[in-house]
Amino acid sequence: MARKDLLDIAALDREEIDHLLDQSIPFKELFTRSVKKVPALKGKSVLMLFYEASTRTHSSFEVAAKRLSADVTNFDVAHSSITKGESVRETVETLQAMRTDYIIVRHGRSGLPGMIAKHTKASVINAGDGAHAHPTQALLDAFTIKEKFPDPTGKKVLIIGDILHSRVARSTSTILKKLGVQVAYLGPGSLVPKNGPENIRRFTDYQEAMAWSPDFVYLLRVQMERQDVQYFPSVREYHRLYGITDARLADIRDRGLYLMHPGPVNRGVELCDAVMDYERSLINDQVENGIAVRMAVLYWLKPHSVG
Amino acid sequence: MTLLITHARIVSENSPTLTEGDVLISDGKIQQIGIGLTAPQGARVLDAKGKILMPGMFDAHVHFREPGFEAKETIATGTEAAINGGITGVVMMPNTSPAIDSATVVANVLDIAKRTARIPVYTSGCVTLGRHGKELAGIDGMRSLGVKMLTDDGDTTADPAVLLRAMQYATEFGMFFASHCEVPELAGPRALNDGTMSYRLGIKGSPACAEEIIIDRDIRLAHAAGAHIHIQHVSSKLGMETIRWWKQRGDVKVTAEVSPHHLLFCDEDIGDFDTNYKMNPPLRTRVDNEGLLQGLIDGVFDLIATDHAPHTPFEKSQDFISAPNGITGMDTALVSLYHFFVATGKFGWDLVVKRYSAEPRRIMGLPAVSIEVGQVADLILFDTETETTFTKEFMKSKSQNTPFINQTLKGSVTLVVLGNEILLER
Repeated sequence: MARKDLLDIAALDREEIDHLLDQSIPFKELFTRSVKKVPALKGKSVLMLFYEASTRTHSSFEVAAKRLSADVTNFDVAHSSITKGESVRETVETLQAMRTDYIIVRHGRSGLPGMIAKHTKASVINAGDGAHAHPTQALLDAFTIKEKFPDPTGKKVLIIGDILHSRVARSTSTILKKLGVQVAYLGPGSLVPKNGPENIRRFTDYQEAMAWSPDFVYLLRVQMERQDVQYFPSVREYHRLYGITDARLADIRDRGLYLMHPGPVNRGVELCDAVMDYERSLINDQVENGIAVRMAVLYWLKPHSVG
Repeated sequence: MTLLITHARIVSENSPTLTEGDVLISDGKIQQIGIGLTAPQGARVLDAKGKILMPGMFDAHVHFREPGFEAKETIATGTEAAINGGITGVVMMPNTSPAIDSATVVANVLDIAKRTARIPVYTSGCVTLGRHGKELAGIDGMRSLGVKMLTDDGDTTADPAVLLRAMQYATEFGMFFASHCEVPELAGPRALNDGTMSYRLGIKGSPACAEEIIIDRDIRLAHAAGAHIHIQHVSSKLGMETIRWWKQRGDVKVTAEVSPHHLLFCDEDIGDFDTNYKMNPPLRTRVDNEGLLQGLIDGVFDLIATDHAPHTPFEKSQDFISAPNGITGMDTALVSLYHFFVATGKFGWDLVVKRYSAEPRRIMGLPAVSIEVGQVADLILFDTETETTFTKEFMKSKSQNTPFINQTLKGSVTLVVLGNEILLER
């Protein structure tokens, strides 16, 4: 079954997830060729609608679309009527009139891409909405984990950091649960809510979390820019309690654990410098895989605008 | 107009038993009640066999948006929605633009109502100028035009010292206070319960304690000032229990209301960001639904009120966070109360009449209407055998932001009589 939109990983069933992950493999193989482009979406238009600053996700989608030969337009949010008080709902009417085929949207408000999807015939891909969802991040994380363990059933992923505000934590744990992976959260009590999913272990103590024996340690970016209210006393205290310090990195190396991070990293907050050179860090794999899964998603979705 | 309604099942707020009988109305009054009444010459006879005959409902919490937001609702359309739902009297909330905070605005609103409404319209007045929570509104001027209820509804009067002084001042004039309860710092700007749903949707939730704290605070202020405090649209079980505790003490005059949507829906119903389930206070949990229902049955809640809050389709078609708070309720309230509670035996028609007709009038200092000889004809017929489908065309409100849109429920309002006039017949 082809979908029009990709808004939330929770909506996909296991078969669809497996299909997307399988489809990503041949796209990734393209990257080692001298010509990395295929004509799959030739003549199609992709509109990038990023209301939140983003370099990685934005360029990853742009590269993915261009490798599929689509025409990419950036909707200049900073200089548009939005700054003159136009509501997003009004912008959507304008976009619909432009008859674009795909809209890739990132916004600080949860649920906003879904609203756009309802009012346009274009395929809408959620590139991150508030603390709600980030489905392509989930796909690339699952793809990265499957590269290490083709059958990840029963493997354990410990996600550390600001769970409360993290769409990555929500979407990535959702896809991992669907793949039979065990997930646990670790972070300060004020950032690891008790009303999260029941099937996810909740830790607030680093030692206890490591005693759970994870296979992957997944660090979240501590979103300093979203800390309009204080959730922990100081960055120093956070680093001491939950950061990957040199000593903790040595322990992680001894245990042979893989390290992941959605980027961009805060050195000295959630991790120390040495983590970047850790041989089992998958951070760069995640970036590369991101392009492949986004190509698979674009190729899979079927806009209603197709004549 | 002379009208003889025959074979109706008549509801009294004081008895769960319905009395079958005929009711003769002329000169705008109930002239006779009995069995086998003969129709006077020229009288119209309406066979109401099996139908429920009861006083018109009275909704003490409605937002009619006029003046200022006429795209959402006007006093004319709002009162027609009321009639459509069997409601024959309303109390407007003052969060219009300008806010209803002076004799001038009250006079303007009452003048519009006089010209455009077919049912009595009462209005509350603000506690503070512009609902800003700082300076006191023109209290005596509003009182002189009949305002009884003071409220900054839509917001809490944040500064307790301001509210306390207002209570000390206005209580002397026989006025009472109605409170929309939330600690702004805890509630945040989003109308969504803090719980599993807020986590799933990735939106900062408003915890029930944000409401419960102010429920308790405002009752304590009324206790200190000797004021009458009315707690609006209670959404949590613990909030209800707070009110129960104060009522049991018996040393402060406290009344409270509950809305049909807080009895019926919970945060899970929001599903995939459905803005027709977004209101403030927010929908909470199934446990709260059950607690509130028990509170209504036990009499902790003096009245049912809809918090009818119309918004345009465009406004409500925005994303969940941007869409404004509130749902409409006038067209749907009575039918939904029948479908979910009376028809299922949770409570009887006597409770509906007591809590949605008699008590709301009393709290406003009005006589309760009843189906008795000598009373003004202010009554409705309700057919339990037919259904109502809440299509856009059915609704008389200018807005259709309700979870019941296009749903079919059991029961329908088939006749509304007020004085010498039939306001609705179907």
